[in-house]
Amino acid sequence: MLHAWLNVERNPTQTMRDFLRSFLEKGIVEAILVPAPSAGGASITPTLFLNPEELSRAEPFAPLMPVSEATMVSMLTRTGNPIKLGAVMRNCQIRALVELVKFKQAQLDNLIIIGIDCPGTYELKDYSAMVQNGVDPTASLLENLARGEVSPAPGYSFREACTMCIYPIPDPAIVAVTVGLMGFDGERLPILVKEELAEKLGLADGSPSNRREEVINGLLKARKEEREKQIGRFTKEGTGLEGLLRWFSKCIRCYNCMGICPICYCRECVFRTPVFEHESARYFDWAQKKGVLQMPPEHLLFHLTRINHMVTSCVGCGLCSSACPSEIDVALVFQSVGEEVQALFGYVPGRSLEEPAPVQTFQEREFLELGETLR
Amino acid sequence: MPARIGVYICHCGINIAATVDVEEVVRFAQTLPNVVVARHYTYMCSDPGQALIKQDIEEYKLNRVVVASCSPRMHEPTFRSVVAEKGVNPYQFEMANIREQNSWVHSDVQAATQKAKELVAAAVAKVALLEPLEEREVEITPAALVIGGGIAGLTAALDIAEAGYKVYLVEKEPTVGGRMAQLSRTFPAMEDARHLLAERIKQASSHPNIEILTSSTLREIEGYIGNFKATILRRPRYVRADRCTACGKCAEACVLAGQIPDEFNAGLSRRSAIYLPFAEAYPPVYTVDPQNCLYLKEGKCGEGDTPPCVAACPEGAIDFSQKEEELERKFGVIIVATGFDLFDARLKPELGYGRYPNVITALEFERLASPDGPTGGEIIVNGKKPQSVVFIHCVGSRDKTVGNPYCSRICCMFTAKQALLVKEKLPEAKVTVFYMDVRSFTKGGEEFYDRARGEGVLYRRGSVSEIYRKGDKLIVRADDTLLGRPVEVEADLVVLATGLVPRKETEDVALLLKLARSADGFLAEAHPKLRPVDTASDGIFLAGTCQGPKDIADSVAQARAAASSALMYLIQGKAKVEAVTSKVDPEICSGCGLCEAACAFGALKLDPKRKVMTVNAVLCKGCGACAVACPSKAIQLSHFTPAQTMVMVEALV
Repeated sequence: MLHAWLNVERNPTQTMRDFLRSFLEKGIVEAILVPAPSAGGASITPTLFLNPEELSRAEPFAPLMPVSEATMVSMLTRTGNPIKLGAVMRNCQIRALVELVKFKQAQLDNLIIIGIDCPGTYELKDYSAMVQNGVDPTASLLENLARGEVSPAPGYSFREACTMCIYPIPDPAIVAVTVGLMGFDGERLPILVKEELAEKLGLADGSPSNRREEVINGLLKARKEEREKQIGRFTKEGTGLEGLLRWFSKCIRCYNCMGICPICYCRECVFRTPVFEHESARYFDWAQKKGVLQMPPEHLLFHLTRINHMVTSCVGCGLCSSACPSEIDVALVFQSVGEEVQALFGYVPGRSLEEPAPVQTFQEREFLELGETLR
Repeated sequence: MPARIGVYICHCGINIAATVDVEEVVRFAQTLPNVVVARHYTYMCSDPGQALIKQDIEEYKLNRVVVASCSPRMHEPTFRSVVAEKGVNPYQFEMANIREQNSWVHSDVQAATQKAKELVAAAVAKVALLEPLEEREVEITPAALVIGGGIAGLTAALDIAEAGYKVYLVEKEPTVGGRMAQLSRTFPAMEDARHLLAERIKQASSHPNIEILTSSTLREIEGYIGNFKATILRRPRYVRADRCTACGKCAEACVLAGQIPDEFNAGLSRRSAIYLPFAEAYPPVYTVDPQNCLYLKEGKCGEGDTPPCVAACPEGAIDFSQKEEELERKFGVIIVATGFDLFDARLKPELGYGRYPNVITALEFERLASPDGPTGGEIIVNGKKPQSVVFIHCVGSRDKTVGNPYCSRICCMFTAKQALLVKEKLPEAKVTVFYMDVRSFTKGGEEFYDRARGEGVLYRRGSVSEIYRKGDKLIVRADDTLLGRPVEVEADLVVLATGLVPRKETEDVALLLKLARSADGFLAEAHPKLRPVDTASDGIFLAGTCQGPKDIADSVAQARAAASSALMYLIQGKAKVEAVTSKVDPEICSGCGLCEAACAFGALKLDPKRKVMTVNAVLCKGCGACAVACPSKAIQLSHFTPAQTMVMVEALV
């Protein structure tokens, strides 16, 4: 791993576009996945570039994440990765991708991950409002960074999941390049790059960025505090059957949280299979047994099943909350439950490809303290 | 065709009828949907009981049957064949367990009757949804793999070979013979163990149907009953079998001669780095111990370029260029005979083993008492013949403090034998045995124990708390539980009757072959009473002490039973495989492989092209673990589909 610097002549976005173009031009990758304005221009979405010229419209630093790039990499590699692919990714996306690889939903062969330090992202509605009010979300973010501040534009806030994210920095063991946005000083952008790649890109070894280190340390401290506060809120309001029913009271069972979740990899959720297609008579039976039957039924069972299936792999990207039309804070439930359950298994999702996910392993002797007796 | 169900409530004598109002259950069953006829009878499993079902199937045109009686473990096959005889698919039969899960555990008649009704209602609801299933057959490769070349493995191999089938016998050590080769005499007949074993080794090694692979371990095993394939790793001996005459000159020339603890003599003597484990070893070929051989470790041995052993060999048999080999063998059945380890007596530090040279284990005593042992069969400790010998029972057995609550079964008898050997070899010696209980259930065992006492062996009931040194003697301190007071006995030699524990490789064997282990850590049989040599995996059988502590007679009996069970398949040339299996819906499956991790039988594999999981229906035992593991329920278990299970739940709650 080697420290290098990219000189910023006009703005960091342009520098990054040029840097990414060199990947295509030098044949390091044949295609590259970078966020860019969606068709119609109302949003930013992962976009697959093959032609280096097109990269002039890429928005690699736009603080918006309507979908997870991990889901797109899964789409592009699940059944094989025929060409050399590059992907610009934030760390929650990288960690989700690592989980997907464990579940055989993506492959890392032939993939070069270009990780970027993530200061945070906005909800789409806030992002759109900023654009409408003449605030450039990317430029304002980069201006703050140049002053050593990781903060949203005045009057706006990052998504809640981002404010409590304690993993904003890509792991150099997993990515080929890290673009150290946190170390941007207005003139130069520090990067961390694998040696063999540095050679191909013609980058020389330089000094590491002390400024980046400081900014990250300060940020993590604030994030940890926020995280504790948020989880405390859920613990107080959302636990127990009563608490959960209240938390999910607005759920319309639209399945958006499941559809957007990068970890929810099932091709068909069990809730959409015949397992949950009941005979008409059963609904009346239930209504009779319970007195009344709330329709659609089983909404809490749906969330609990989803927690049960994938909470050990939840990376806290927060897309479930962003996608919820009823504005339920789904992500906080997963983060709160996930933190405890992951700790039980000594597991950090997305940390390492060598660590199998808890749901993939079977150990005859574990949690004996819970009272299970062996044969 | 609409379901036409017959329901039969069994009294099981008074086992059920005393606690459950069977007539009431019948009246209730008659009201359930699709039930055409419901009856009760004293013993449904009896001939008249079975006749009743057959007659009703004809008379009422039944197409599904429910029997409410005992656990399906015993009689489900009985009733399945009853209904099949009359043309009803055996998988459209369902059993409700109203004995083990009801009448045997409850006493309130009213409540037990209500529970019986619910269990019957659940079975009736399910049976209406059951699909007909077909049992399938697989061909059997006419060969067997025997893992372990001790007395059990040799015996099983011989029986199968004698019946005319090929046997591959894989042994980890450089020779066959196993633990029995180390024993002096057998109980209760006091025969020479070496002689009995040598005969067996000779028969097996000269049998044209047996291929013995020593210094070999299983690396991988794949397939299923009838069609297994193993990759066997054969380590080099560095000695050419076609040239070695076992003259022993190499061992004399070895620079490490007399320096390496000899495992065959339980460490009581020392050998060279090139050695023959014992005189009757098969193959009768010397072998180089790569852990110790200087030439293999350092690339140089002795003064010149030629290692001394190579120089000493008149036949030019030593060949250091030999390499590890991978062999592949195909076979239809497997017999596991991997044996046991001895309890490590150091785990009972109060007994002084490892600290006092005159505290020895029973196996070390066997070597002392053997004519081919380090002392030529004389009991000599510290250069002297002991005048007082103390034996201690149950070292590492029946001992929860070391995690071994089980009885090792053979220690009472081998201690009696060893005590008699002391009396035979040292008639003047005082012999004391400390015991908890004497268990002499082997044939002739009680008489043998009587004989030991008759010849002057003093049995004292009590547990030993400590052994310490006083001068050149050992003092054994114990609580005499009959006298109710502490006693101290002076000893020149203490022999610990160390128990049997599962081999340290048991976990690897269990993982490799997908076998279950019982609570004591030994490999688990399919059923303790009715299927004692079978495993939960079809076509894999257990023989000898890998399944639990056993004496030679029991090991041989079990080995022959395992061989017979294996032969049933080999002779028929085909086997029926479970009809209840899991199925993957490729439309739903994401190919994540969670089911593969959950499957204990290796039945699930990813189709690399389609990226969906596939089930090998022959390997699948229908346990359902995969169906539970699948997050999107892309896997369904036939005979236990969600719909079939949900109607039971609905009927019960």
